[in-house]
Amino acid sequence: MRHFTKLAAAAVLGATLGTAAVAQELYAPNLAYRTGPFAATGIPLMNGQADYFAMLNARDGGVGGIMVNAEECETGYSTEKGVECYEKTKGRAIVTQPWSTGITLQVLPKTNVDEIPILAPGYGFSPMADGKVFQWAFNTPSGYWDAASMILQYLHDENGSLDGKKIAFLHLDHPYGKEPLPLLEKKAGELNFELLPIPVGLKEMQNQSAQWLQIRRERPDYVVMWGWGAMNAGAITEAVKTKFPMENFIGVWWAGHDADLKIVGADGAGYKSISWSFPNAEAPVMADIQKHVVDAGLSQSNPEEMSGVFYGRGIVISAILAEGITAAQQEFGTAEIDASQLRWGLENINMTEERIDELGLTGMVPPFSTSCANHTGHSGGWMLEWDGEQFVKVSDHMLPDTSDYQQLIADKAGEYAEANAPWPTNEECNAEG
Amino acid sequence: MLYRTAGQFKTSYKADQALFPIRQDAVLLIAILIVAYVIFPLIASEFAYQTLLIPVMIYALAAMGLNILTGYAGQLSLGTGAFMGVGAYACYKLITLFPWMNPIVAILFSGVFSAGIGVAFGIPSLRIKGFYLAIATLAAQFFLVWLFEKWAWLYNYNASGAIQVPNTEMFGVYLTGPLASSVTQYYLVLVIVTVMTMLCINLTRGNLGRTWKATRDMDIAAELIGINLMKSKLIAFAISSYVVGVAGALYVFMWKGAAEPNLFDIPLSFQVLFIAIIGGLGSILGNYLGAILIVGLPVVLNLLPAALGLSISSALVEHLNIMIVGSLIIFFLIVEPHGLAQLWRLIREKLIIWPFPH
Repeated sequence: MRHFTKLAAAAVLGATLGTAAVAQELYAPNLAYRTGPFAATGIPLMNGQADYFAMLNARDGGVGGIMVNAEECETGYSTEKGVECYEKTKGRAIVTQPWSTGITLQVLPKTNVDEIPILAPGYGFSPMADGKVFQWAFNTPSGYWDAASMILQYLHDENGSLDGKKIAFLHLDHPYGKEPLPLLEKKAGELNFELLPIPVGLKEMQNQSAQWLQIRRERPDYVVMWGWGAMNAGAITEAVKTKFPMENFIGVWWAGHDADLKIVGADGAGYKSISWSFPNAEAPVMADIQKHVVDAGLSQSNPEEMSGVFYGRGIVISAILAEGITAAQQEFGTAEIDASQLRWGLENINMTEERIDELGLTGMVPPFSTSCANHTGHSGGWMLEWDGEQFVKVSDHMLPDTSDYQQLIADKAGEYAEANAPWPTNEECNAEG
Repeated sequence: MLYRTAGQFKTSYKADQALFPIRQDAVLLIAILIVAYVIFPLIASEFAYQTLLIPVMIYALAAMGLNILTGYAGQLSLGTGAFMGVGAYACYKLITLFPWMNPIVAILFSGVFSAGIGVAFGIPSLRIKGFYLAIATLAAQFFLVWLFEKWAWLYNYNASGAIQVPNTEMFGVYLTGPLASSVTQYYLVLVIVTVMTMLCINLTRGNLGRTWKATRDMDIAAELIGINLMKSKLIAFAISSYVVGVAGALYVFMWKGAAEPNLFDIPLSFQVLFIAIIGGLGSILGNYLGAILIVGLPVVLNLLPAALGLSISSALVEHLNIMIVGSLIIFFLIVEPHGLAQLWRLIREKLIIWPFPH
């Protein structure tokens, strides 16, 4: 009995201490995945995100004078745990970061009722770009249709024309992998190239011999890959094995993870990946993180990981969130903003070249801005190439041709709203156009 | 002491065969029902509804469906996840094709589709059994998940390939979709699960249940005493798949709100099978105990460090969680290989004869 009394006393004490620590902070939880099948990519992303806020808290005392609590809730990339984490954190959260297409789809309708902004940088449902319909969802700075547009543009510029070319589209047979298909199909008609979709089932991610056999038989001019997690490493090793020319192999931004390419090393030289972020070791922010976080022993990262694309992307994601918080704080004149104020902030991000330099993110993210109608920003990005040791930029700042899919976004967003009726839309924003 | 049976006399066979031969059992059940119907809704938070109460009941229902097939009729199945998927997709199509349809009717009716598919995949059980049947049902698992992915009509040609639960209402109250409140969904699930449990208890205690048990224990002997094996097995498949299908429809419509095809993949089948095995095969109570252990406990364990004021990183908590739940499963299976329900049965028996052990 005595043990139980002690335990109960400890619990009560813990609870009171816990509530005492809550005061005066912005709670920005992250539904992290450091465990499970996709942990290899999750860990650098989460470390980047966490380290940026740790640096802001240590250097500036948070954002606008208030500490940011970027607590993680572990999902292991499972939708079930994701919902659990969302429910657990939503009480006082100003933002939710679901980190998987499945979890994003699941929480998307809920956030509309709970009125909490979703920040899903570079992933999730592409029509979320339409802020008039998806008032609470943000996939800044770039969506999947942006990526597809930029990849086609890059190939087009390289060849002068895509007329008569054959492009194999190697994708995960899953909502995520199918995302760019509507746009690719449309462009195939317009630019007169042959699109060859090759799906990879979730179960055969690591064994793609059948798919690569098909690629070898079809002899496409290019392979465009929409892969994730273990699928990327599988495809890259298989491409090397079948001696597919790596310079004709292009992945989306989630298929440009250093660790996947390190497996093949120099054999992978020439592999490309479109990206809206770039790891710039010379950027001032990296020095600040080194000083305030790594040297202080607050980081879980290591130097090798910190030079990678995904760690840098984690930093950029947190920087976008911090920018949204700053914008909201300035607009509403209070440091302790709430979820709906943050939504305004995320709708009014203005990342100019100067602002990026000011934040110390030089060269890590292209400039972009958001508005109430445009929740993506369409920042564009760079084509990165694996030189055998690391990713290097091989293109200037590219911009997607948004006119290609403006209508597509509006149509799909409208369909979603209709299927989920009654779905509130932002009428004021409609009036502004 | 608490379970004293003195003074409870049975003067007829009917009284001896009653559902609760001991009065304390009935009292206990009434207490549980009061807690479920009155106390929980008064004190539960949104978090408790969404991560503990609703999922535990839905998983228990799914396990109950499997238990009828595996625990009572002795037909091993690995296709539970896919049959849940059939229920969910059928319900989705019913609600989107016939928007006027009452969502409760749609949920209960969707089980009919999974019952049909369950019977179709149960036909091989007439020729094969044991592990061989498990492989045949595994084929259902692969085939159906593939179908959910490929047949775009099933998800209304949605760009993302996932199904989204629409908002539906009854008497001005939202029952499904993001606008539905958790209390409504909780009560709905609770009522459906209560009714289904009562049905299952009565089915398994009745003529059909005895037929199933005979089939399970020795099918040749069962056939010799005049049991029609084909009928017995196929009815077991039909009823089991019906319950599993309803659980699948509840899973998506009352809880998840959206689903992608691979949600119904093998891990879900295994999870339900674990609940049934750890809870106890051939027991109705066991499904609830198993669901509490496998679905409820990890959620509680995840909350524990924060409640105790310990700051452990969430990834470490998750790893610890997996280890604790895993070792508990091993522990329970070593202590009582027949599951938690058997453990409870032993405790209850000990309580009845206490303080005089055999």
